[in-house]
Amino acid sequence: MRWTSRARPARSARPARGAPRRGVPDAAIATVTVVALVSGIWLVRSGTEGHPPPQPSAAQADARSEGEAPAAPPLPPSPPDRIRIPAIRVNAPLVGLGLTSSGSLEAPPPERKDVAGWYEAGTKPGETGTAVVAGHVDNAEGPAVFYNLGALKRGNTVEMDRRDGSVAVFTVDAVEVYDSRNFPDEKVYGPARRPELRVITCGGGYAKKTGYQGNVVVFAHLTGSR
Amino acid sequence: MRRRRMLTGTVLAAAAAGLSAAPAHAGDATTLDLYPSTTAPGATVSVNTKACGTGETATGDASAVGAGMFTLAPSAHDGEAIGQFKVPPSAQPGTYEIVAKCFRGDKEMAGDLKVILAVAGTQQQPKGRVETGVGGALGPDPVQTAAGVAALAVAAAGGTWLLHRRARGDRI
Repeated sequence: MRWTSRARPARSARPARGAPRRGVPDAAIATVTVVALVSGIWLVRSGTEGHPPPQPSAAQADARSEGEAPAAPPLPPSPPDRIRIPAIRVNAPLVGLGLTSSGSLEAPPPERKDVAGWYEAGTKPGETGTAVVAGHVDNAEGPAVFYNLGALKRGNTVEMDRRDGSVAVFTVDAVEVYDSRNFPDEKVYGPARRPELRVITCGGGYAKKTGYQGNVVVFAHLTGSR
Repeated sequence: MRRRRMLTGTVLAAAAAGLSAAPAHAGDATTLDLYPSTTAPGATVSVNTKACGTGETATGDASAVGAGMFTLAPSAHDGEAIGQFKVPPSAQPGTYEIVAKCFRGDKEMAGDLKVILAVAGTQQQPKGRVETGVGGALGPDPVQTAAGVAALAVAAAGGTWLLHRRARGDRI
Protein backbone atom coordinates (compact mmCIF):
# COMPACT_ATOMS: atom_id res chain seq x y z
CA MET A 1 0.00 0.00 0.00
CA ARG A 2 2.80 2.37 0.82
CA TRP A 3 4.19 2.09 -2.70
CA THR A 4 1.01 3.32 -4.38
CA SER A 5 0.64 6.31 -2.15
CA ARG A 6 4.13 7.37 -3.18
CA ALA A 7 3.74 6.51 -6.83
CA ARG A 8 0.45 8.29 -7.41
CA PRO A 9 1.30 11.80 -6.23
CA ALA A 10 4.45 11.57 -8.36
CA ARG A 11 2.39 11.11 -11.50
CA SER A 12 -0.23 13.72 -10.70
CA ALA A 13 2.46 16.26 -9.80
CA ARG A 14 3.83 16.18 -13.37
CA PRO A 15 0.83 16.13 -15.65
CA ALA A 16 2.52 17.99 -18.54
CA ARG A 17 5.86 16.22 -18.70
CA GLY A 18 5.51 13.01 -20.73
CA ALA A 19 2.78 11.64 -18.51
CA PRO A 20 0.93 9.78 -21.32
CA ARG A 21 4.12 7.97 -22.38
CA ARG A 22 5.14 6.90 -18.92
CA GLY A 23 1.68 6.63 -17.31
CA VAL A 24 0.75 3.18 -18.60
CA PRO A 25 3.87 1.21 -17.60
CA ASP A 26 3.97 3.05 -14.30
CA ALA A 27 0.40 2.09 -13.53
CA ALA A 28 1.04 -1.52 -14.59
CA ILE A 29 4.13 -1.80 -12.42
CA ALA A 30 2.32 -0.16 -9.53
CA THR A 31 -0.55 -2.64 -9.90
CA VAL A 32 1.80 -5.64 -10.01
CA THR A 33 3.65 -4.25 -7.01
CA VAL A 34 0.48 -3.83 -4.98
CA VAL A 35 -0.86 -7.30 -5.94
CA ALA A 36 2.50 -8.90 -5.12
CA LEU A 37 2.69 -7.03 -1.83
CA VAL A 38 -0.83 -7.93 -0.69
CA SER A 39 -0.64 -11.58 -1.77
CA GLY A 40 2.90 -11.86 -0.35
CA ILE A 41 1.77 -10.59 3.05
CA TRP A 42 -1.23 -12.93 2.98
CA LEU A 43 0.88 -15.96 1.92
CA VAL A 44 3.57 -15.35 4.53
CA ARG A 45 1.04 -14.75 7.30
CA SER A 46 -1.13 -17.80 6.63
CA GLY A 47 1.94 -19.89 5.77
CA THR A 48 3.61 -19.24 9.10
CA GLU A 49 0.36 -19.50 11.06
CA GLY A 50 -0.74 -22.93 9.83
CA HIS A 51 -4.30 -24.04 9.31
CA PRO A 52 -6.48 -25.07 12.20
CA PRO A 53 -8.86 -27.91 11.29
CA PRO A 54 -12.50 -26.96 10.61
CA GLN A 55 -14.75 -26.90 13.67
CA PRO A 56 -18.48 -27.65 13.74
CA SER A 57 -20.84 -24.70 13.93
CA ALA A 58 -23.57 -24.44 16.55
CA ALA A 59 -26.10 -25.26 13.83
CA GLN A 60 -24.73 -28.81 13.66
CA ALA A 61 -25.32 -29.42 17.37
CA ASP A 62 -27.73 -32.03 18.61
CA ALA A 63 -31.33 -31.27 17.64
CA ARG A 64 -32.87 -34.73 18.09
CA SER A 65 -36.04 -35.88 16.35
CA GLU A 66 -36.48 -33.08 13.83
CA GLY A 67 -36.31 -34.48 10.31
CA GLU A 68 -34.08 -37.33 11.40
CA ALA A 69 -33.76 -40.24 8.95
CA PRO A 70 -35.62 -43.36 10.16
CA ALA A 71 -33.47 -45.93 11.91
CA ALA A 72 -32.70 -49.22 10.15
CA PRO A 73 -32.97 -52.56 11.97
CA PRO A 74 -29.72 -53.74 13.59
CA LEU A 75 -27.29 -55.94 11.66
CA PRO A 76 -25.73 -59.14 13.02
CA PRO A 77 -22.38 -58.48 14.74
CA SER A 78 -19.41 -58.35 12.40
CA PRO A 79 -16.16 -56.42 12.88
CA PRO A 80 -15.56 -53.48 10.51
CA ASP A 81 -12.69 -53.20 8.02
CA ARG A 82 -12.97 -49.69 6.56
CA ILE A 83 -14.70 -46.38 7.15
CA ARG A 84 -15.84 -44.15 4.29
CA ILE A 85 -17.16 -40.60 4.65
CA PRO A 86 -17.82 -39.37 1.09
CA ALA A 87 -18.58 -35.75 2.12
CA ILE A 88 -15.01 -35.21 3.35
CA ARG A 89 -13.35 -37.78 1.04
CA VAL A 90 -12.36 -40.19 3.79
CA ASN A 91 -11.75 -43.84 2.87
CA ALA A 92 -9.58 -45.39 5.54
CA PRO A 93 -8.73 -48.84 6.87
CA LEU A 94 -9.50 -49.52 10.53
CA VAL A 95 -7.34 -50.93 13.29
CA GLY A 96 -8.63 -52.27 16.61
CA LEU A 97 -8.38 -49.97 19.62
CA GLY A 98 -8.39 -50.76 23.32
CA LEU A 99 -8.35 -48.61 26.43
CA THR A 100 -5.41 -46.79 27.98
CA SER A 101 -4.49 -47.37 31.62
CA SER A 102 -6.57 -44.32 32.56
CA GLY A 103 -9.66 -45.78 30.89
CA SER A 104 -9.73 -43.47 27.89
CA LEU A 105 -9.91 -44.77 24.33
CA GLU A 106 -6.58 -45.45 22.64
CA ALA A 107 -5.75 -43.60 19.44
CA PRO A 108 -4.40 -45.32 16.31
CA PRO A 109 -0.60 -45.21 15.89
CA PRO A 110 0.14 -41.52 15.06
CA GLU A 111 2.74 -42.33 12.41
CA ARG A 112 0.04 -44.00 10.28
CA LYS A 113 -1.87 -40.83 9.51
CA ASP A 114 -4.29 -42.39 7.01
CA VAL A 115 -5.60 -45.03 9.40
CA ALA A 116 -8.59 -44.82 11.76
CA GLY A 117 -9.46 -47.16 14.62
CA TRP A 118 -12.53 -48.69 16.27
CA TYR A 119 -13.14 -49.72 19.85
CA GLU A 120 -12.78 -53.48 19.54
CA ALA A 121 -14.20 -54.46 22.93
CA GLY A 122 -17.32 -52.36 22.35
CA THR A 123 -20.27 -52.52 20.01
CA LYS A 124 -19.59 -53.52 16.40
CA PRO A 125 -20.83 -50.90 13.91
CA GLY A 126 -24.32 -51.95 12.80
CA GLU A 127 -25.12 -53.83 16.00
CA THR A 128 -27.51 -52.36 18.57
CA GLY A 129 -25.54 -50.06 20.85
CA THR A 130 -22.89 -47.38 20.49
CA ALA A 131 -19.95 -48.19 18.23
CA VAL A 132 -16.93 -45.89 18.54
CA VAL A 133 -14.43 -44.89 15.82
CA ALA A 134 -11.48 -42.54 16.42
CA GLY A 135 -8.79 -41.09 14.18
CA HIS A 136 -6.15 -38.39 14.22
CA VAL A 137 -6.88 -34.83 13.11
CA ASP A 138 -3.16 -34.36 12.52
CA ASN A 139 0.23 -35.75 13.45
CA ALA A 140 3.63 -34.08 13.73
CA GLU A 141 3.90 -33.77 9.93
CA GLY A 142 0.51 -32.26 9.17
CA PRO A 143 -3.17 -33.08 8.60
CA ALA A 144 -4.29 -36.70 9.15
CA VAL A 145 -7.30 -38.90 8.32
CA PHE A 146 -10.01 -36.96 10.23
CA TYR A 147 -8.67 -33.43 9.59
CA ASN A 148 -11.99 -32.36 8.02
CA LEU A 149 -14.29 -34.21 10.42
CA GLY A 150 -15.47 -30.93 11.95
CA ALA A 151 -16.80 -29.88 8.52
CA LEU A 152 -19.39 -32.69 8.45
CA LYS A 153 -23.05 -31.66 8.44
CA ARG A 154 -26.23 -33.27 9.67
CA GLY A 155 -27.53 -35.68 7.04
CA ASN A 156 -24.08 -36.64 5.66
CA THR A 157 -23.44 -40.37 5.54
CA VAL A 158 -20.74 -42.56 7.05
CA GLU A 159 -20.30 -46.01 5.54
CA MET A 160 -18.55 -48.91 7.19
CA ASP A 161 -17.39 -52.02 5.32
CA ARG A 162 -17.84 -55.03 7.53
CA ARG A 163 -16.03 -58.33 7.54
CA ASP A 164 -19.15 -60.30 6.60
CA GLY A 165 -19.22 -58.38 3.29
CA SER A 166 -22.04 -56.00 4.20
CA VAL A 167 -21.87 -52.20 4.35
CA ALA A 168 -23.48 -50.39 7.29
CA VAL A 169 -24.71 -46.90 6.35
CA PHE A 170 -25.03 -44.32 9.11
CA THR A 171 -26.53 -40.83 8.86
CA VAL A 172 -25.06 -37.95 10.85
CA ASP A 173 -27.40 -36.57 13.56
CA ALA A 174 -25.08 -34.00 15.10
CA VAL A 175 -21.49 -32.76 15.11
CA GLU A 176 -20.33 -31.42 18.46
CA VAL A 177 -17.11 -30.25 20.05
CA TYR A 178 -16.47 -31.01 23.72
CA ASP A 179 -13.87 -29.66 26.10
CA SER A 180 -11.76 -32.40 27.72
CA ARG A 181 -12.37 -30.96 31.22
CA ASN A 182 -16.09 -31.50 30.87
CA PHE A 183 -16.39 -34.49 28.58
CA PRO A 184 -19.93 -35.99 28.46
CA ASP A 185 -18.92 -39.67 28.77
CA GLU A 186 -22.48 -41.04 28.90
CA LYS A 187 -23.64 -39.07 25.87
CA VAL A 188 -20.62 -40.03 23.78
CA TYR A 189 -19.91 -43.62 24.88
CA GLY A 190 -23.10 -44.63 26.74
CA PRO A 191 -25.35 -47.46 25.54
CA ALA A 192 -28.05 -46.87 22.92
CA ARG A 193 -31.25 -48.74 22.07
CA ARG A 194 -30.63 -48.58 18.32
CA PRO A 195 -27.41 -49.05 16.28
CA GLU A 196 -25.43 -45.85 16.70
CA LEU A 197 -21.98 -44.63 15.80
CA ARG A 198 -19.59 -42.03 17.17
CA VAL A 199 -16.68 -40.73 15.12
CA ILE A 200 -14.12 -38.87 17.21
CA THR A 201 -11.06 -36.72 16.54
CA CYS A 202 -9.21 -33.92 18.29
CA GLY A 203 -10.58 -30.41 18.17
CA GLY A 204 -11.58 -27.37 20.12
CA GLY A 205 -8.99 -24.74 20.86
CA TYR A 206 -5.30 -25.44 20.57
CA ALA A 207 -2.63 -24.34 23.03
CA LYS A 208 1.08 -25.00 22.55
CA LYS A 209 1.45 -26.42 26.06
CA THR A 210 -1.62 -28.60 26.30
CA GLY A 211 -2.38 -29.39 22.66
CA TYR A 212 -5.96 -29.66 21.45
CA GLN A 213 -8.37 -28.86 24.25
CA GLY A 214 -11.12 -31.27 23.36
CA ASN A 215 -12.68 -33.55 20.79
CA VAL A 216 -14.94 -33.19 17.79
CA VAL A 217 -17.61 -35.91 18.07
CA VAL A 218 -19.87 -36.96 15.21
CA PHE A 219 -23.14 -38.62 16.30
CA ALA A 220 -24.77 -40.92 13.74
CA HIS A 221 -27.30 -43.75 13.63
CA LEU A 222 -27.80 -46.70 11.29
CA THR A 223 -30.15 -45.84 8.42
CA GLY A 224 -29.43 -48.61 5.97
CA SER A 225 -27.17 -51.39 4.78
CA ARG A 226 -26.22 -53.14 1.57
CA MET B 1 10.47 -91.18 54.53
CA ARG B 2 7.50 -92.90 53.07
CA ARG B 3 5.50 -89.69 52.98
CA ARG B 4 8.25 -87.83 51.12
CA ARG B 5 8.45 -90.50 48.47
CA MET B 6 4.73 -90.25 47.90
CA LEU B 7 4.99 -86.47 47.44
CA THR B 8 7.83 -86.84 44.96
CA GLY B 9 5.73 -89.35 43.06
CA THR B 10 2.83 -86.92 42.83
CA VAL B 11 5.07 -84.13 41.58
CA LEU B 12 6.59 -86.41 38.94
CA ALA B 13 3.17 -87.54 37.81
CA ALA B 14 1.99 -83.95 37.50
CA ALA B 15 5.08 -83.00 35.51
CA ALA B 16 4.54 -85.96 33.20
CA ALA B 17 0.91 -84.97 32.65
CA GLY B 18 2.00 -81.42 31.87
CA LEU B 19 4.55 -82.64 29.33
CA SER B 20 2.12 -84.90 27.53
CA ALA B 21 -0.50 -82.13 27.40
CA ALA B 22 1.83 -79.50 25.97
CA PRO B 23 2.22 -80.79 22.38
CA ALA B 24 -1.55 -80.65 21.81
CA HIS B 25 -1.42 -76.87 22.11
CA ALA B 26 1.93 -76.33 20.43
CA GLY B 27 0.67 -78.06 17.27
CA ASP B 28 -1.88 -75.35 16.50
CA ALA B 29 -0.02 -73.29 13.94
CA THR B 30 -3.05 -71.63 12.35
CA THR B 31 -4.86 -69.02 14.35
CA LEU B 32 -8.52 -68.34 14.72
CA ASP B 33 -9.49 -64.66 14.84
CA LEU B 34 -11.83 -63.74 17.68
CA TYR B 35 -13.66 -60.39 17.91
CA PRO B 36 -13.42 -59.16 20.52
CA SER B 37 -10.63 -61.31 21.86
CA THR B 38 -11.24 -59.87 25.31
CA THR B 39 -14.84 -59.99 26.42
CA ALA B 40 -17.23 -60.29 29.32
CA PRO B 41 -19.66 -63.08 30.32
CA GLY B 42 -22.87 -62.91 28.29
CA ALA B 43 -21.25 -61.25 25.25
CA THR B 44 -21.30 -62.52 21.67
CA VAL B 45 -17.97 -63.30 20.03
CA SER B 46 -17.41 -63.36 16.26
CA VAL B 47 -15.00 -65.97 14.97
CA ASN B 48 -13.41 -66.02 11.56
CA THR B 49 -10.68 -67.78 9.69
CA LYS B 50 -9.19 -67.86 6.22
CA ALA B 51 -7.53 -71.21 6.80
CA CYS B 52 -10.17 -73.37 5.12
CA GLY B 53 -10.24 -71.51 1.78
CA THR B 54 -13.06 -69.95 -0.24
CA GLY B 55 -16.54 -71.42 0.18
CA GLU B 56 -15.49 -73.84 2.89
CA THR B 57 -17.29 -74.49 6.16
CA ALA B 58 -15.70 -75.17 9.53
CA THR B 59 -16.86 -76.49 12.86
CA GLY B 60 -15.99 -74.45 15.93
CA ASP B 61 -15.70 -75.64 19.49
CA ALA B 62 -16.12 -73.13 22.31
CA SER B 63 -16.85 -75.73 24.97
CA ALA B 64 -13.73 -74.61 26.85
CA VAL B 65 -15.67 -71.51 27.90
CA GLY B 66 -18.92 -73.47 28.14
CA ALA B 67 -20.47 -72.28 24.87
CA GLY B 68 -20.48 -75.60 22.98
CA MET B 69 -20.10 -76.18 19.24
CA PHE B 70 -20.84 -73.67 16.49
CA THR B 71 -20.57 -73.49 12.71
CA LEU B 72 -18.35 -71.18 10.67
CA ALA B 73 -20.16 -70.52 7.39
CA PRO B 74 -18.48 -69.23 4.20
CA SER B 75 -18.78 -65.47 3.71
CA ALA B 76 -18.49 -63.02 0.85
CA HIS B 77 -15.38 -61.59 2.41
CA ASP B 78 -12.06 -62.83 0.97
CA GLY B 79 -12.75 -66.52 1.37
CA GLU B 80 -13.29 -66.31 5.09
CA ALA B 81 -15.52 -68.57 7.14
CA ILE B 82 -17.42 -66.76 9.88
CA GLY B 83 -19.29 -67.90 12.94
CA GLN B 84 -20.21 -66.74 16.39
CA PHE B 85 -20.98 -67.99 19.86
CA LYS B 86 -22.24 -66.52 23.08
CA VAL B 87 -20.08 -66.57 26.18
CA PRO B 88 -22.31 -68.02 28.95
CA PRO B 89 -23.26 -65.45 31.58
CA SER B 90 -21.83 -67.86 34.16
CA ALA B 91 -18.34 -67.96 32.54
CA GLN B 92 -15.48 -67.34 34.93
CA PRO B 93 -12.69 -64.82 34.16
CA GLY B 94 -9.69 -66.45 32.51
CA THR B 95 -8.18 -67.34 29.16
CA TYR B 96 -9.86 -70.06 27.11
CA GLU B 97 -8.78 -71.76 23.94
CA ILE B 98 -11.39 -71.73 21.18
CA VAL B 99 -10.74 -74.24 18.40
CA ALA B 100 -12.17 -74.90 14.96
CA LYS B 101 -11.70 -77.58 12.34
CA CYS B 102 -12.21 -77.26 8.59
CA PHE B 103 -15.13 -79.36 7.35
CA ARG B 104 -12.97 -80.66 4.53
CA GLY B 105 -9.46 -81.77 5.34
CA ASP B 106 -8.26 -81.94 8.90
CA LYS B 107 -6.80 -78.49 9.40
CA GLU B 108 -7.26 -77.20 12.93
CA MET B 109 -7.23 -73.61 14.13
CA ALA B 110 -7.14 -72.16 17.62
CA GLY B 111 -7.41 -68.75 19.23
CA ASP B 112 -7.37 -67.45 22.79
CA LEU B 113 -10.42 -65.81 24.32
CA LYS B 114 -9.89 -63.75 27.45
CA VAL B 115 -12.92 -63.38 29.67
CA ILE B 116 -12.90 -60.49 32.11
CA LEU B 117 -15.49 -59.38 34.61
CA ALA B 118 -17.05 -56.13 33.49
CA VAL B 119 -18.71 -53.61 35.77
CA ALA B 120 -22.40 -54.43 36.27
CA GLY B 121 -22.26 -57.04 33.51
CA THR B 122 -22.00 -54.51 30.68
CA GLN B 123 -19.15 -53.75 28.32
CA GLN B 124 -16.52 -51.49 29.70
CA GLN B 125 -16.99 -48.17 28.01
CA PRO B 126 -14.21 -45.65 27.40
CA LYS B 127 -14.20 -42.36 29.23
CA GLY B 128 -12.82 -38.91 28.60
CA ARG B 129 -11.12 -37.37 25.63
CA VAL B 130 -9.16 -39.18 22.93
CA GLU B 131 -5.62 -38.05 22.12
CA THR B 132 -5.98 -37.73 18.38
CA GLY B 133 -3.80 -34.80 17.45
CA VAL B 134 -0.61 -32.99 18.27
CA GLY B 135 -1.12 -29.75 16.38
CA GLY B 136 1.01 -30.70 13.38
CA ALA B 137 -1.55 -29.14 11.03
CA LEU B 138 -1.08 -25.84 12.84
CA GLY B 139 2.65 -25.54 12.13
CA PRO B 140 4.10 -23.31 9.42
CA ASP B 141 3.74 -24.36 5.81
CA PRO B 142 7.21 -23.90 4.26
CA VAL B 143 6.01 -23.97 0.63
CA GLN B 144 3.39 -21.30 1.20
CA THR B 145 5.82 -19.17 3.21
CA ALA B 146 8.40 -19.40 0.41
CA ALA B 147 5.78 -18.35 -2.16
CA GLY B 148 4.91 -15.39 0.05
CA VAL B 149 8.54 -14.36 0.36
CA ALA B 150 8.90 -14.59 -3.43
CA ALA B 151 5.83 -12.38 -3.92
CA LEU B 152 7.23 -9.84 -1.46
CA ALA B 153 10.51 -9.83 -3.41
CA VAL B 154 8.55 -9.02 -6.59
CA ALA B 155 6.78 -6.20 -4.73
CA ALA B 156 10.12 -4.83 -3.51
CA ALA B 157 11.55 -4.94 -7.06
CA GLY B 158 8.48 -3.17 -8.44
CA GLY B 159 8.64 -0.53 -5.75
CA THR B 160 12.33 0.07 -6.31
CA TRP B 161 11.72 0.41 -10.06
CA LEU B 162 8.97 2.99 -9.49
CA LEU B 163 11.17 4.98 -7.11
CA HIS B 164 14.01 4.94 -9.64
CA ARG B 165 11.73 6.19 -12.40
CA ARG B 166 10.46 8.96 -10.21
CA ALA B 167 14.01 9.93 -9.23
CA ARG B 168 15.09 10.01 -12.90
CA GLY B 169 12.01 11.97 -13.89
CA ASP B 170 12.77 14.57 -11.24
CA ARG B 171 16.31 15.04 -12.52
CA ILE B 172 15.26 15.87 -16.10
